[in-house]
Amino acid sequence: MPLKPEENNEFKVPERPLECTECKKPIAVRYTEIVGETVTHTSMCADCPELLRRLYGLNHEGSSLLPGETRLACGECGTSLEAIRVGTSLGCNNCYEVFGDIIVAELIAEEKIPIRVANNKKHPSIHIGRSPGEIPEMSPSSRLITLNEALHETLKIEDYEQAAWLRDQIKALTEKPEKKDD
Amino acid sequence: MTEPTPPSNPILGLSKPWVENSNSIWLASTISLYRNVEKFMYPSKLSSDRQKQIIGLVGKYLFNEEGLTGPSIVLSENTSPLEKEYLVEHFLSSYGFQHAHSGEAFIIDQTGQFLATVNDHDHIRLKIIDCQGELESTWSRLVKLETSIGKSVTYSFLPKFGFLTADPSFCGTGLVATVFLQLPALIQIDDIDEVLDKLADESFLITGIQGSPSEIIGDVLAIQNNYTTGVSEENIISGLRSLTTKLLLEENRARKSIMHSQNPNVKDQVSRAFGILLHSYQIEAVEALNAISLMKLGVEIKWISGISIAQLNHLFFNCRRSHLMSFYGNTIAQEEIPHKRSEYIHKALKEARLLIE
Repeated sequence: MPLKPEENNEFKVPERPLECTECKKPIAVRYTEIVGETVTHTSMCADCPELLRRLYGLNHEGSSLLPGETRLACGECGTSLEAIRVGTSLGCNNCYEVFGDIIVAELIAEEKIPIRVANNKKHPSIHIGRSPGEIPEMSPSSRLITLNEALHETLKIEDYEQAAWLRDQIKALTEKPEKKDD
Repeated sequence: MTEPTPPSNPILGLSKPWVENSNSIWLASTISLYRNVEKFMYPSKLSSDRQKQIIGLVGKYLFNEEGLTGPSIVLSENTSPLEKEYLVEHFLSSYGFQHAHSGEAFIIDQTGQFLATVNDHDHIRLKIIDCQGELESTWSRLVKLETSIGKSVTYSFLPKFGFLTADPSFCGTGLVATVFLQLPALIQIDDIDEVLDKLADESFLITGIQGSPSEIIGDVLAIQNNYTTGVSEENIISGLRSLTTKLLLEENRARKSIMHSQNPNVKDQVSRAFGILLHSYQIEAVEALNAISLMKLGVEIKWISGISIAQLNHLFFNCRRSHLMSFYGNTIAQEEIPHKRSEYIHKALKEARLLIE
């Protein structure tokens, strides 16, 4: 699973990684600022625009921009690249056109696209599936295939009790084959 | 137990889809589709007039929808904090609705299985909760609703990104499917880590109930697709079916092994859970949910009689805060809740008998 918890956790189930206080990426930098008697701690991700801002000041030119990037903003809704870098939602459809490459790069970095699709550079589309208006049909056999695979597995390990349980379910599905959804 | 007359409030009076659920492992599944409407900016950038337009538009089409039974629309400015919490509990939502402000709306129907949120992150988020283990047909139902609305409104779509969502990590199919499985036996005999490692698949995320990432409450694991893009809806659903079937088999195996060995530690845990539920004077939700899960295990192993799995599933949903408060007509003070919860549980379990000697 994508989130690897620590060994001493009670279950191996998920622990959310510590998040950057500015955006939602994992923490890479801890920034401590001492002004007079006040000490402030901030945790930030590696490419945090906030880090650059703190280091170089508010007026630092192109503070949050990576080398080669210009000050991009969506012409329709005004959402800026800086806003997107700190995890602000997109503002409109046009954002997808303006920030397309950046969005794909972020999705890959956050492991939100299957590796197979992410690595397929030739194919320009990351979407697999229907377009508006198309009605997909779930093959009625899809669930049967899953159950049959499971049945096969249980028979292999000679677990006849579980096999019977699976057979019952297969029987229930094949006896009333068409749609329960109407 | 006789319940007081249901309140006429559309949210607090929602019918409860889990009443008939007699499955001891499969607690529920929810499927959502996130959609935006073309030519409108996403809700965060939308003026309040345009937000109202979206509510009107979505409301109009959903109200004529054959697939819904007596839908009602509730504007979030008219929704009390209790009602918002009730919706989160009812639909096992992974995020709260407490921040829903004016310009957002909820649409529900009388089956208690359907929720549409309007202008909450995206223009439309359609959701169905199912408590009968019917993942595939639930998805078909949802898709029918979605395509039917799509005949009247044009959804935001780009061939490259699929259906567009305000948070790009949901673009593509815009489909979020979650199955909630209750796995007390695997957790009690400490096999859960090994099983999850064996079945591990980066296509699915496993969290606790209601999105709590690390806290497992009531032995419930929420299994959800990690990718909404780069994978087809059919594959998400069948992958989820396949993974959950494997987990069901493992849990069944663990239960058999506990039954055969009459595992003394588990016996002790189930007996204690029985004691806590029947003899506490006040009880917090998490403690109650954990104990109810062990009670269910006890019923399955025939260590407990006089109560059915369906009744315990009912109790599991109903003893959470806002459901409990609504049961008592919203008349109980905050500090009284733990005591009222104990009272409620005592009544629900009055026929239950512990057969462990």
